[in-house]
Amino acid sequence: MSSSDIFDVLNIQHPKSSSPPSNSGTPGVPRTSKPQVTGIQRELYNLLGDNTPPVVAEKANKFKDKINALSKPSPWTYTEFQATPSLKLRHWVKGSKELVSGQLQQSAFDKYNKKLTIPSFTKEEFESFMNKEDTIGEDPLQWTFEEVEHLFDLCRKYDLRWFIIQDRFNSKQVRSLENIKETFYKVCQQYFLAKEPDNPLISSLNFPTEKEVERKKYLSRLLSRSAAEIAEEEALIIESKKFEMAAKKTLNERESLLRLLDSPNSEKSISQYLTSQGMSQLYNSLLMDKSRKRKHDSVIPENPWMKQQQQFAQQRHQMQQQQQQQQRQQQIDLQQPQPLEVKGEIQNSALNKKTKKQKQEMQIAIKRKADSEYAEQLLKRFTPEERKALGVIAHGEKLSPGVFLRSAKISTFKPAVQNKVQATLQELELPIRPAMPTFIVVHRQEQLLKRIAILLDLKKQLDKLEAEKSITK
Amino acid sequence: MATPAPSKRIKTLSVSRPIVYGNTATKLGDNRPPNAPVEHTHMWTIFVRGPQGEDLSYFIKRVVFKLHDTYPNPTRTVEAPPFELTETGWGEFEINIKIHFIDDANEKMLNFYHHLRLHPYYDTNRQLIKSETNQVETEKAVNSEVQSIFFDEIVFNEPNEQFFKILMSTPGYLLPSNKTKEHIFSKQLEQEEIDRINMGIDKVDQEIEKLKQKLSEQIKPEP
Repeated sequence: MSSSDIFDVLNIQHPKSSSPPSNSGTPGVPRTSKPQVTGIQRELYNLLGDNTPPVVAEKANKFKDKINALSKPSPWTYTEFQATPSLKLRHWVKGSKELVSGQLQQSAFDKYNKKLTIPSFTKEEFESFMNKEDTIGEDPLQWTFEEVEHLFDLCRKYDLRWFIIQDRFNSKQVRSLENIKETFYKVCQQYFLAKEPDNPLISSLNFPTEKEVERKKYLSRLLSRSAAEIAEEEALIIESKKFEMAAKKTLNERESLLRLLDSPNSEKSISQYLTSQGMSQLYNSLLMDKSRKRKHDSVIPENPWMKQQQQFAQQRHQMQQQQQQQQRQQQIDLQQPQPLEVKGEIQNSALNKKTKKQKQEMQIAIKRKADSEYAEQLLKRFTPEERKALGVIAHGEKLSPGVFLRSAKISTFKPAVQNKVQATLQELELPIRPAMPTFIVVHRQEQLLKRIAILLDLKKQLDKLEAEKSITK
Repeated sequence: MATPAPSKRIKTLSVSRPIVYGNTATKLGDNRPPNAPVEHTHMWTIFVRGPQGEDLSYFIKRVVFKLHDTYPNPTRTVEAPPFELTETGWGEFEINIKIHFIDDANEKMLNFYHHLRLHPYYDTNRQLIKSETNQVETEKAVNSEVQSIFFDEIVFNEPNEQFFKILMSTPGYLLPSNKTKEHIFSKQLEQEEIDRINMGIDKVDQEIEKLKQKLSEQIKPEP
């Protein structure tokens, strides 16, 4: 297939055929200019036709650019320096020769070469402070002054690198590392006790030999375990971790269960949350609660109805207060009008301080109250008996307006739970749908269903717990 | 159809009206209607009415029964009381009932289903089963009428003022105080129902208490 075929397929006029015939008279010219290619490449060129590629790729220079340094190279000097008191070495130092080679340089790392200050003493001194408490004398592996001195020399020389010290330690007796350490610290302690008994650091010179020996034994045992032992140990660790996790989980579940047992069952129907407005209200209130209730504190959830009542009471109280305030204001206004205005303003600002949300809630509550008052007003002329005969109820709740069948408002559960609920109802010899779903009957039925749900939940939890116990046993 | 200007709804108030719906069915004997197909075995009547046969047309405009698709013109509309429909048939099926309310109500229609029953249900001991919904059966001879009747309440939540006036003009929630054969749905039955549910609640509460104790025993850390 060539470019001309594609042009045919796409119904494009061939550029060559459309061009005047004078051009087509020289077909050999572009052909010769094409590079000699074979295989797939040739096919590609065929597809391309006479079109030349729009962009020509240029080969980039593979070498790095030359450094065009603007500044002069700084001078470096190869100079001598004092590495140790006895040794001189040479190294490169930045700076011109005149600047650097004036005097013999100290090594820059000399300041890091720190030595421990290890006490030194004569034989008399040693005996004087050691004899006070004849601790070392009782040792079966008696340390002589020469040995101690030799040890301290080594300590000074090797900076308390104990393994080297033990290695270099020349003595008639073979001394263990712990023995050497113990002796060193004991002698030091005695020395300082004699010299400055008030030094608070003396107690830190106690060397716990027993513990050291024990530790090393333990380590050697740990390191000499066989592969099988290691594997077993790991398996045991994993097992124990599993147990811990399970225990944590059950603890959590138990906690939530206890909470379930403690909290009183809410008496309020959910129907007010069935509208989208109710939903958003619930969502908001939950959102507000979220930060507070995170820690699952055992606060008993408040009764929403009670809350409303309280709100009403609060409102009434406030209104009364306001009225009283106004009355008082008027009274005092007559006497001295000036300073009281300020007082009133303060009062007002305090009232204004109520949060937006509270205001909103209050407004809703007031509206609801007004609504229900209006409804009550309408029903005023009816006695309870008459009301019943008319089938009219002022429920005072926020329910979605519209018409529905009473029996349709009986709550249902998830399919799995619903089946169990129905089985329970049958056990109780009660119908699933009440024969007479009147207002009171449906209300009672709701109570019953709520309790059955709780019962089922409890049963489930109990079964779970029992199963757990039997497993752990 | 000019809809009246929607007047304001009365908030936090609801008006309910009791209704009874269901069907009766009898076997076709010799008095078979001339136009009934040969395979039809029963004659049945489906209805929507008041518990004591009151006239509900002061708030119901029409009732639409949607029958099984095999019937000719399966959607039957009843525009005037009594809201009932008589047909013949051989099988049970779900009938869709749509209640349309008067224009003043400005409410949507109410839509629900009724399972048409033609046969009495027996358990193995030849005992007439009270069906799951505990509808009240009138037990008669095997050959007699089968009934499947339900009680329900239509609740108008927050009706508009105009409709409210109409509803208030008629004391529509009058139940007979005692059960009678003709009118089973009565205050007496309601009270019986409440008592039954209350007993159920008590039983469940006892169970809950028992379980709670058991649970707290289980949860208590073992010494």
